[in-house]
Amino acid sequence: MSADAPARVEAAAPSASAAAGAPASAPARRWLAEAAAVFAKDWLAELRSRHALHTLLLFAVTTLITVSVALGPLGVSSSERLAVLPALLWVILLFAAAAGLPRAFVHEEETHTATALRLAATPSAVFAGKVAYSASLLFAVELLLVPLYVAVMQLPVPALADLLLALVAGGFGLALASTLLAAIAAQAQGRAALFPILAFPILLPLLLLAIELTRGAVGGAVGDGVVANLVLYDATMAVAGLMLFPLVWNP
Amino acid sequence: MALKPLSLAWRWALWVWIALAIAGAFFYAPLAKDFIGQSSRILFFHVPMAWASFVAFLAAGVWSVVYLWKRQPDHDRAAAAAVELGLVFAVLATLTGAMWAKVMWHAWWNWDPRQMSIVIALAFYGAYLVLRGGVEDPEARARLCAVYAVIGLVVAPYLYFVMPRQAEFSLHPQPVVNAAAKVEMNSRMLQVLITSSLGFTVFFFWVHGLRRRLLRLADRRAEGSVTA
Amino acid sequence: MIEGGIGWVAAVNLVIWTGLFLYLLRLEAKVRDLEKEP
Repeated sequence: MSADAPARVEAAAPSASAAAGAPASAPARRWLAEAAAVFAKDWLAELRSRHALHTLLLFAVTTLITVSVALGPLGVSSSERLAVLPALLWVILLFAAAAGLPRAFVHEEETHTATALRLAATPSAVFAGKVAYSASLLFAVELLLVPLYVAVMQLPVPALADLLLALVAGGFGLALASTLLAAIAAQAQGRAALFPILAFPILLPLLLLAIELTRGAVGGAVGDGVVANLVLYDATMAVAGLMLFPLVWNP
Repeated sequence: MALKPLSLAWRWALWVWIALAIAGAFFYAPLAKDFIGQSSRILFFHVPMAWASFVAFLAAGVWSVVYLWKRQPDHDRAAAAAVELGLVFAVLATLTGAMWAKVMWHAWWNWDPRQMSIVIALAFYGAYLVLRGGVEDPEARARLCAVYAVIGLVVAPYLYFVMPRQAEFSLHPQPVVNAAAKVEMNSRMLQVLITSSLGFTVFFFWVHGLRRRLLRLADRRAEGSVTA
Repeated sequence: MIEGGIGWVAAVNLVIWTGLFLYLLRLEAKVRDLEKEP
């Protein structure tokens, strides 16, 4: 099933680097090709089973229903809505991510395709491909969930740009941290159970920033430098991930 | 069996040093204004404990970097011991902080930004210990924990120094070194604070060395060999 | 606020510190012993 997928990665990488181009950028080309191949492989496997998508969407929608029923349009006084609802949105996204994203590595370890993947691509390219995959999964979930949430909770969005920024930067940060930590958790005995324990402390500062920006998007107050800090978080996680992932991935 | 005279001497010097800090906290330093009764004296214990936990977590990160570079088990043990002790100091800092909060703000807990950041730090390094218990293969365990502690090299400074300063409102007193990089504290208080902080730091390194040696002995016993 | 004044609190702290210190000295002696074992 997915056993031929790593072969796909290997096949894609050499053919891409064989393409004509300036010699100096050939390694970069190869790296990009490997990352793209990992991304494509994961999405191909995902589209066959749609397991992660189902998990993410199911969790997101179930949590949304729970929140909506519990709060209702009259459940939260209107002065507190703008403070509470952005936070709940991100709690839902966090739950969904914790449920759906660790599979990116646990599945590889369980079906033993991880070894083939280690041989087929350089670690940082694997990391980039997995992050792209996790991020796109999350963005797909956000695309479905957020309009639903806004409609069901009757949330005004005067600053749409801020909301989109929060979703993109927050989602990307979630994907970055989750990918690195999922790789660590996948090698432990507890596997998926360990992931939330490792992820919560690292994700909390990100969530606080994303919640604050979302709060601003729906009309609340935003502190200075929230956007800058979000970008800084993402950049730091990206650098840390690219540097540390190879150490996690290779014995 | 006895220690070399110099080694014994510095240990007793440490005793004197910290005893001085304790005496200074209660008899030499004045009370800070704006604080209820004698409660400002907690400062001389609460802050050094928090500082020692930060030093511990930093040390864990440094030893982890060395481990990832040299792959020697002793560095992994050093990192693990540092995290353990760091957690002990952080818990003590949290407890003394809560005691102080109860006196000053009449509530043990408020989710003030500094309280928030110490909780996240506790969760982060607590997770390190969970990870340590969750990996069977010793090499994988050391490697994965080392990576995690290196992530901590970014997370810990952020939690201890960046996050608390970003909040617009905090119940905590302003940091001693304010935005203008000038020190604002009564000089006697500052002296005791620094004395106590240094003492706790040296104390950490002493106990850490002991813990590291204990871990090495345990590993030695586990593998039944004599070589360290 | 505290019966007996601040002196008592200071004394208790010193006792705790001294006790901890002596315990650690003893622990260190034991560790040294165990390390010597061939």
